[in-house]
Amino acid sequence: MALKVSPLTKIISLSGFLALGFLLVILSCALFHNYYPLFDILIFLLAPIPNSLFSKHNAESHDFMNESSNNVQDVGHFFTGMLVTSGLALPTVFYHCQLINHYSCIMSTTGGVIIYLSIVVFSWFFNTGWEDDEDGLFGY
Amino acid sequence: MESNGDRLFRLPFKLPNSATARSIGVYISGGLYAVGAWLFLDAVIYSKKANASSVHVTFVDWIPFLCSTLGMIIVNSIEKNRLIQDALASGSFSGSSSMAWQARLVLFLGFALLAGGLSGSIVVLIIKFLIKDFTTYPTLGMGVNNVVGNFCVVLSCVILWIAQNVEDEYSYSLTL
Repeated sequence: MALKVSPLTKIISLSGFLALGFLLVILSCALFHNYYPLFDILIFLLAPIPNSLFSKHNAESHDFMNESSNNVQDVGHFFTGMLVTSGLALPTVFYHCQLINHYSCIMSTTGGVIIYLSIVVFSWFFNTGWEDDEDGLFGY
Repeated sequence: MESNGDRLFRLPFKLPNSATARSIGVYISGGLYAVGAWLFLDAVIYSKKANASSVHVTFVDWIPFLCSTLGMIIVNSIEKNRLIQDALASGSFSGSSSMAWQARLVLFLGFALLAGGLSGSIVVLIIKFLIKDFTTYPTLGMGVNNVVGNFCVVLSCVILWIAQNVEDEYSYSLTL
């Protein structure tokens, strides 16, 4: 018996997850009156953008022997990897320089990773799931 | 087309040849570059905000990191297939075109900048920290972060080069 989750449930749970991530980061700032971790949200929101800008969905080609699209896609992968690691490293650097305390560091890192994961899972569902059953969105 | 008699290494050493291995290599390279950059920025921010000693991070400390980054950009902007195909086709240095010479020169310049950045950071560590007897840990951390950060940038460049040479099954064998 395959587990069939309707797309509406997926959207609602993903947006709840995203809100949880935002809540964690904003709490980590507000509880300690120190607004430096907000930069972490900015980095994790910027992180999926290079991947989607340079991806192969944007540059469809029907021959499989072209190398140039690989190079363009590599640029997107490089910058996305760089931004995700920056988002993980930023709270650690702030903690090491004694600008925030360790609760704030852990909470903002966790919240940022949750935000990024929910964006990635949403774009994965959007690219693969809906093309199969387009009628499943409104009738379940 | 198998590479039985003309392998590069003596031990059977094969890089994985799939598209996901290539993209994982590029992600790791991007991550390593960010680790190197943030290690260096950690030293800069620590010097400004939480520094208890009299030595500070000045513009001199930025120079090795800028050299390494510039070298990495130069090395990875060259179309390396042109160099490799030229080496395979002509077989000697005298018969290659001027484009190949330009590519070789720019590649040399890029690698020189990378190596210069790494050695420059070691020089800064020795002259600015070790000779003047700042050898205890939070202060020395500023200099060590600079060296390890530049080393991570060099590693990131190497992994990016290797990852971009991962070919799929229907292309030729690996030449570095």
